[in-house]
Amino acid sequence: MYGGDEVSAIVIDLGSHTCKAGYAGEDAPKAVFPSVVGSIDQMDVDDSGNAERNSGSGVDSKNNIDSNKGKGKRKLYVGTQSLGYRRDHMEVLSPFKDGIVADWDIVDSIWDHALRECLLVDPKEHPMLLAEPSSNTQQQRERAAELMFEKYKVPALFLAKNAVLTSFALGRATSLVVDCGGGSTTVAPVHDGYVLQKAVVTSPIGGEFLTNCLMKSLEGKGITIRPRYSFKRKENRPGEFQIVDLDFPNTTESYKLFSQRLIASDIKECVSRAPDTPYDESAYSNIPMTPYELPDGQTIEIGADRFKIPDVLFNPSLVQFFRGALILLFLNFYQTIPGMENYVDIASSCRGLPQMVIESINRCDVDIRRELFSSILLAGGTASMQQLKERLEKDLLEESPQAARVKVVASGNATERRFSVWIGGSILASLGSFQQMWFSKSEYEEHGASYIQRKCP
Amino acid sequence: MDAKDILGLPKTQLPLTQDKKSRPQKEPQRKPDGISREVYALTGGLAPLMPSIDVSQLKKRPPSDEKITWQWLPFTNSARKDDLQLYHWVRVVNGIPPTGDYSFAKYNKSVDVVKYTNEEYEKYLTDPTWTKEETDQLFDLCGRFDLRFIIIADRFPSSRSVEELKDRYYSGTMHELISRNYLIVLDGYDNSYLVVSRAIMIARAPSPGDVSGHPLVKEPYNVSQEKERKRALSMVLSQTKQQERKDAEVLAEAKRIAESRMAARAAEEPELPVTSHAGSESADRAVLGDTVSPSLNVQLPAAVVAPSTSIMADSASTLASLRMLKVYLRTYALEQMVQAASSSAGLRTIKRVEQTLQDLGVNLKPKVPTKAVCAEHLELRKEILTLLNLQKQVMNTQDTLLSPMESSNSNASLSLSNNPFFPLYYRDLKDFGQRSQRGGDQDRTFVPDSVSFGGDRVGKRDQKRKGPGRLSEAPSSPAHKRPRKMKASDL
Repeated sequence: MYGGDEVSAIVIDLGSHTCKAGYAGEDAPKAVFPSVVGSIDQMDVDDSGNAERNSGSGVDSKNNIDSNKGKGKRKLYVGTQSLGYRRDHMEVLSPFKDGIVADWDIVDSIWDHALRECLLVDPKEHPMLLAEPSSNTQQQRERAAELMFEKYKVPALFLAKNAVLTSFALGRATSLVVDCGGGSTTVAPVHDGYVLQKAVVTSPIGGEFLTNCLMKSLEGKGITIRPRYSFKRKENRPGEFQIVDLDFPNTTESYKLFSQRLIASDIKECVSRAPDTPYDESAYSNIPMTPYELPDGQTIEIGADRFKIPDVLFNPSLVQFFRGALILLFLNFYQTIPGMENYVDIASSCRGLPQMVIESINRCDVDIRRELFSSILLAGGTASMQQLKERLEKDLLEESPQAARVKVVASGNATERRFSVWIGGSILASLGSFQQMWFSKSEYEEHGASYIQRKCP
Repeated sequence: MDAKDILGLPKTQLPLTQDKKSRPQKEPQRKPDGISREVYALTGGLAPLMPSIDVSQLKKRPPSDEKITWQWLPFTNSARKDDLQLYHWVRVVNGIPPTGDYSFAKYNKSVDVVKYTNEEYEKYLTDPTWTKEETDQLFDLCGRFDLRFIIIADRFPSSRSVEELKDRYYSGTMHELISRNYLIVLDGYDNSYLVVSRAIMIARAPSPGDVSGHPLVKEPYNVSQEKERKRALSMVLSQTKQQERKDAEVLAEAKRIAESRMAARAAEEPELPVTSHAGSESADRAVLGDTVSPSLNVQLPAAVVAPSTSIMADSASTLASLRMLKVYLRTYALEQMVQAASSSAGLRTIKRVEQTLQDLGVNLKPKVPTKAVCAEHLELRKEILTLLNLQKQVMNTQDTLLSPMESSNSNASLSLSNNPFFPLYYRDLKDFGQRSQRGGDQDRTFVPDSVSFGGDRVGKRDQKRKGPGRLSEAPSSPAHKRPRKMKASDL
């Protein structure tokens, strides 16, 4: 590599759905696991005096910076393997609330798991590159810097915005990044490697929301998704299986939902396709059904939902068909349940993807609008949906002015689209001319955490 | 993933025999030795047609005397302000690590932003719309973001437009530079450097007298122009597709109206009533054929001025057809004109014209077809044609006068000699009662053609007349022919 100089930096991208971590300079992250944790409150089990029992990996009893007094100690289980094993009273928690980090203990445990258990590195020896949301607040950045320097004692740190990293991964310094992630969809313009913060547009409709819609739709059809832990297949005769339901009364509701969501999101990824034209009930009523076999052996048929669900991205008012999904959305995203009358308002205030793109571009300075139109980048897990790029291009061509040439760019590889933020971080951290930009430990000690605003623009 | 997907089983039942066929195909694709599998795959997995590099040469490396190792060593970076030491792989030759600065430090370039002190601010840079804090913030951001004004406008705490920021920065910098070189501008000589008694030494101070050449002074930032330009650009870019479609429709409508107006105006210009219809027709054709152009106006008066009505209409139509071609040769144009002009004449007349030209010593096609030459040639041809036609008419009338039906009115000859114009000639002919007996049917066929061009019909009538009447006029016609020829040669 002519411009490259590897210093064995580590790149961590903590997204709202999955966490990706790996070495800089590689083309894919080594550690990919869901960014939720299972937590068992120790208050029921422990007495307050027994601190020794909580030693071991994944425990945050030392770092009670943010926890309430009432929470006490809790054991956190991170990673696909730990989460896949059902435990009594285990709640599934996400560190995010409203799209930004609310619980730093969970973040700490996730990082710890990634570094010590997945990558097997000592953070003291490796500079760290973290990917942060495009509209992150100063306070969040300072907390992240504090945590990294104080607990993990990294030699150097850099916080880069998701949109900038995606832009670098696709080889451009100026572009409009449409990040369709798990928790939300963000449209952010990048100019010369800097995000134009006044023009960032977000919407709470993301991959998780679409999964909720699918679950509600299946429930409405009377199909129950059995979570994997809740049944056992007994072989009566060779080739023929019988389902035996297992009952675990102490399983929490959140864990059940989490397990069901895993299966539903897999269904969504397998069968859904973005429709070429806006969804119309009558047009898709006779569509041939696609079969899908659930883990418990049931085969379900999915027809119109294949197209209806991706169209929610483009036309959020379709949400009214998935009434229960809205409740789940607000539970997860806003952590509140608004009154019934607000549903339609909030859903209609979310714009479709093409409208978000146009709005974001119109908020930018006139001189760069043409350039932004001609390089619209797609990133994120939801963006690897089939035909999404073509549909977005078509919609944008209709709404955009004639003078602008619209071009939507997405890498052909679905893995690259999913990990484009991480890949951008990998590229950035291994560049020779980036090595002068690290925020080092000595600078942190000299100027304090607020200096990060200047160092990481 | 669906269980069937993981196992790779088809979703519907398919025969198993298909798997076995694909297996034997994989055997012949072995890679050759000497190059790695991935490199071989880059060539498409097939051997090249012509071996470009000898495969056995690839793995050899030139033997070197030095002992080279790679070590994981710390390095410092002069582009950094602190002393952070990161590690990287270093090529160590004979145990001596390489010296010198970090190779990427040279890419650390930044823009020199003017730094002013408080007194300078008080003296030169005060502005009613800008506070000192804002100006300080602005210059700080300019330094951090290397004058990327779009990003500076984005990060600026209060909402100022890009043009305002640029204006403040550029005018501030300009004033600063001028103020520091103030005396240099006035004196314009080397010695003034010593005269300037400022504590601040500016590296970028240009050579004396150069401040006026500084781009900031030569082309100052023009706020209003930038604002106007941006407003226009935003108008262009903010039109939606429907608006643009409407605009396009309106423009097409306006064009159609303009063209129809041009056609109406063109129709009024030719004054000759006979060909006004034809002229407007050809003008219409011309207008519809091309875009409205000023040349059309030039051609129409030129066409109007043309001497005879027939030629005017003809030339208008040929002009129209020529204008259809964007590029054409002048000889081709001349041919078209000649053809158009002689369309009213028969083959014999054309031959006679050419004969006349030859007798005159003129080439049938001009040797040097310039504009003037072609025009003259065309004029000559037309005149010869007119002459021949007139001669023919004279002969005809003389024939009729000399014919046995001489009891015809002498008015005819008188009127004939006075009126060479075809329409009047025809009017007189109609009055001939005697004529109708001999060539009555011919007359009757000709009467309705009063609005036709003369030459063709006359020629035909000529021939027809000569037919039945040849016996009587046999001695006279050759005699007539000869004098006619003689007359032509006399000219």
